[in-house]
Amino acid sequence: MYKKILAAVNEFSNSEVAARYALTVAKSSLAKLFLVFVAEEGIEKDKLRHAESALERLFIEAEENGIEAECIIEGGEPVKKIHGFVEEHGIDIVFAATRREDVKKRFFVKTLSRQLMVGLPCSVAMVRVVRMGGIHPGNILVPLRGRMTNPDEREYFIAKLAESSGAKVTLFYLHEPITHFFHGERHLKPVQRDKHIPHDMERFSDYLHKHKIPFEKKTGYGGIARGITLEAAFKRNDLIVMGASEKSLLNTIVKGNPVEDVLRHTPCNMIIFRTRKS
Amino acid sequence: MNIHNLTREAVLKSLVTSERGLSESEASKRLHEYGANEIKEVRKKSLYQKLFAQFTHFLAILLWIAAALCFLSEYLHPGEGLLSLGIAIIGVILINAVFTFVQEYRAEKAIEALKKLLPFNVKVLREGKAKEVRSEKVVPGDLILLSEGDKVPADARLIESNRLMVNNAPLTGESDAKPGSHDASTGDYLESPNIVFAGTLVVSGIGMAVAFATGMSTEFGKIAHLTGGVQERLSPLQKEIIRVTKIVAVIAITTGIFFFALGFFIGRGFWHNFLFAVGIIIANVPEGLLPTVTLSLAMGSQRMAKKKALIKTLTSVETLGSVTVICTDKTGTLTQNKMEVQKIWTIRSDQRSAVSGQQSDIHLMKIASLCNNATYTDGKYKGDPTEVAILKAAREARGDIKAERIFEIPFDSERKRMSTVCKIPLYPPFSKGELSGIPLFGKEGEGEILQEKFFVLTKGALEMVLPLCDKIFEGDNLISLNDENKKTLMRAYHSMMDEGLRVIAFAYKSVGAIHESPLQSDIAELESNLIFTGLMGLEDPPRPEVPEAIKKCKEAGIKVIMITGDAGRTAVSIAKQIGLVKGNPVVIEGREMHGMSDDNLREKLSSEEILFARMTPEHKMRIVSILEDEGERVAVTGDGVNDAPALKKANIGIAMGITGTDVAREAADMVLLDDNFASIVNAIEEGRGIFENIRKFISYIFASNIPEAVPYIAYIIFNIPLPLTIMQILAVDLGTDMFPALALGTEKPSPGVMKQPPRSPDERLLNFRVLRRAYLFLGPIEALAGLFGFFYVLNSGGWQWGTILPSYNVLYMQATTACLAGIIVSQIGNVFACRSSIESVFSLGFFSNRLVVLGIVAEIILSAFIIYHPWGNKIFGTAKLELNVWFILIPFGIGLLMAEEVRKFYVRRVDNDGIR
Repeated sequence: MYKKILAAVNEFSNSEVAARYALTVAKSSLAKLFLVFVAEEGIEKDKLRHAESALERLFIEAEENGIEAECIIEGGEPVKKIHGFVEEHGIDIVFAATRREDVKKRFFVKTLSRQLMVGLPCSVAMVRVVRMGGIHPGNILVPLRGRMTNPDEREYFIAKLAESSGAKVTLFYLHEPITHFFHGERHLKPVQRDKHIPHDMERFSDYLHKHKIPFEKKTGYGGIARGITLEAAFKRNDLIVMGASEKSLLNTIVKGNPVEDVLRHTPCNMIIFRTRKS
Repeated sequence: MNIHNLTREAVLKSLVTSERGLSESEASKRLHEYGANEIKEVRKKSLYQKLFAQFTHFLAILLWIAAALCFLSEYLHPGEGLLSLGIAIIGVILINAVFTFVQEYRAEKAIEALKKLLPFNVKVLREGKAKEVRSEKVVPGDLILLSEGDKVPADARLIESNRLMVNNAPLTGESDAKPGSHDASTGDYLESPNIVFAGTLVVSGIGMAVAFATGMSTEFGKIAHLTGGVQERLSPLQKEIIRVTKIVAVIAITTGIFFFALGFFIGRGFWHNFLFAVGIIIANVPEGLLPTVTLSLAMGSQRMAKKKALIKTLTSVETLGSVTVICTDKTGTLTQNKMEVQKIWTIRSDQRSAVSGQQSDIHLMKIASLCNNATYTDGKYKGDPTEVAILKAAREARGDIKAERIFEIPFDSERKRMSTVCKIPLYPPFSKGELSGIPLFGKEGEGEILQEKFFVLTKGALEMVLPLCDKIFEGDNLISLNDENKKTLMRAYHSMMDEGLRVIAFAYKSVGAIHESPLQSDIAELESNLIFTGLMGLEDPPRPEVPEAIKKCKEAGIKVIMITGDAGRTAVSIAKQIGLVKGNPVVIEGREMHGMSDDNLREKLSSEEILFARMTPEHKMRIVSILEDEGERVAVTGDGVNDAPALKKANIGIAMGITGTDVAREAADMVLLDDNFASIVNAIEEGRGIFENIRKFISYIFASNIPEAVPYIAYIIFNIPLPLTIMQILAVDLGTDMFPALALGTEKPSPGVMKQPPRSPDERLLNFRVLRRAYLFLGPIEALAGLFGFFYVLNSGGWQWGTILPSYNVLYMQATTACLAGIIVSQIGNVFACRSSIESVFSLGFFSNRLVVLGIVAEIILSAFIIYHPWGNKIFGTAKLELNVWFILIPFGIGLLMAEEVRKFYVRRVDNDGIR
């Protein structure tokens, strides 16, 4: 599915860690990896040197892993340049790192992350790095929603990520609390929750089973964001992969955004994945 | 590949750092990217939010609405005293909110306690220079310099180490230090010797490590995530109070609307009907419920404190009563934590309690004495209880044994053994070579020291020591360890475990001169080809009161699950001794549980008798989560830092007051002052009683709603003067009713309270039977009393039907006072009636709860103030009553009590499931 993968690298160490996830997927997909650094106008020499070193290290690592890689350094405005590059080379997926200051901003308004997520014509994996040591995930937590867009690509992405790292996948479905006026919140036992498991979870597990990726299914109960972060902390997951929120900005303001909330409080690295067609 | 699998070079490369450390600019950039290395409270509510929540819960909202209606009515129809009522209601909200807020604020300090475990300053290597920085400035990629006494600031991978020993107690609960090594390793990363974790302590040696996780992404941070991130759930009582409030709100509003509509059809004006509807609603709101519940819980917590159970959050008082499962530690909670050596065993002899003169016994005691970290000074033993017991047995058998310890290979949970290398003086005759080839210690203190020899002395779990041995001492002879004597040995081992003994194996060998700690790679060589010497069986006797407490739990339908670090057989034996299990329980050991799916574990947990052995605190959280998922209400005990998430997750977290860490105590809902399981059961009994008591005073409070509402209905329907003013309703709800209601909250748990199964989650505090009894039985009698008093006074004063009396008319004021007095008198009868919904007050005894008598005395004094004191008259619009009025009213109080006695008699004899 992925033939060309782009990893956006800059002077920050987290972009290098994020690019390693791209490297992982490129290895299992047998895709070509483009390591791209876009230098903004007037960039300090020190920053340029850091970014170049990162590109060099990543390139060597890619070569060591038998991945066809290409390093590109260009000047200009990063979002525009990456957009142009994606169109020009027919990139399938872009990996980029979110910055801590992006996460601190409410609704990610006016952040590079949001511009890439919204603007790129390909799939995007936005990586939040909170733990530098967790390079090769051993246990990936994949929270699933009731209805998934573009499930084929999601399944593929998770499978390739897990395959290359030798990771186990936990498919996690969290049931939101049911409340009644007089009785308050109703507790649902796992057997009762299982009745609400979305069809996509079965489909996902079939796919992983077919591709011999070790996995387990798990259901939880309660608030979505809190449930996901607690599960990840409890099970010591190395990576959470969540689908990008498809809520409108207004909807997010009114009802909140679990993806944004998990991103803020994640105890491990996290990838927000937006498929091409969604 | 993970960080612990990598070589030194790969570690530095993957963390984008070098042997000179980070540059200052890079460190600053990383600080910006990864944030400060600190423990934060996840999704922490600010103090303002917490305080605000106290004013916005459902009952508070209902009271706000009631207060607003009072102010509106005062505005529309001044002079009825509604302004005072509105202010009083707001006062109730304020006092209650502040009281509860203070309680919660005091209770929530777990994360603060966690923060204290991280260091303030640390040494790091940056730009090739060692420098001291504040702990929160440490970033991923920083090279941390570690030495004795340092606390580790972040999760880091060792790249250099020299005799480094780290105590991981905050994370693992193990008190013994673990050796650190910079070599790449395989296996579980949490057990890896090349990883040091934030919050742990360097006991000895030096090392350098590269930080790879800081702040909340460290393992320590995950404890904070799990402790602070657990959603604050409403306790069963809080849920019930909300439900009661909703029912009351629906009843009040429906009644208000009904009579508003009725008035409209009768032809009264809009505002008249509106004010009337407001009056009905206010009469139905139980203004006194919230303070009574809060004070009752506070008094309950005081009683529990006297029983060694310190309650931190008030609602936990009642939650305890609803517990269905207790997950309890063994050592120190079910047992006395006073280890004693009960049996020793060597291959030629059977198990015995006395030491023989055989060489194997002498050697066993020497190893016990020298491979031991407990101490005996000034007539006192100090150290880990198991080691103290072993040292005590050795000293009693052989006295003090002199030797020089060269070094120690410490105990850890993975190795389950410890070894020491000691230089021991040898005395004649054995060292002369009479038993050539046998490396014996010789007798101590007899004759001159011939020479000094070095010995490796090992003690630990049999499964970890036996594989290291190839010979065994048989009496005075040394023979090869073969299948036959292994079988004999295993039989003895199992037999000791079946007696509930913790079994420790001992072995040794002589080695050449060693003068310093070996390298990690040499340890395996040192601990090989050992001579198996014998076994010791230690017993930690159960607490004497525990079997009775376990029996009580069984009768009360509470499942008790033992979670212990001991072996399965030992756990089963102890469980049998205390009556926890009778047949063959399901025993799950740590490693088995590790590979078990949640569904499988859930199925096992449904077994009637189940024990968890060889557990670490981490397993507790999983057990608690699955039990709660199944709808159980779980109490769990804990003492370590990493018990905090389980304590927080459980419905009731119980920390040990004596052995517990600060973090555990702060995370818990209850602190056990004596670490005793029996105290938990006593507290549960008290908690069950409190639910019963709250239901008792709800019956009591709700009964008075009817005589408060009926006068209003009579006023509108029969066109009579209003028999009870709003201020007089307030006098009952927030005045005279309060003291007896509080006294009802102190009733002792009924004798059968621990013989019933736990309250079902579907059992309601305010159910139809309670409402029926209060609204259709007790309430109407009280309404009759009030209206009788009202009309008696009016008729005595010559009032004619249809005559409207102004509010300042003395006859009218006396009549409303008589109505109030009628309610008070019948509530005095009611307080005795409500002491039990089934038992006769004659069998309970009128004076068996002195506080009820005191409550009634307080009620009478307050009533006297309202009725006979000029200030009371002014505030509540009352007037003095003649004595004959009281004589008319008192029979109603007695009548209500008698009617209740008849009802109870009927319930007890005729229909045990009937009206309660």
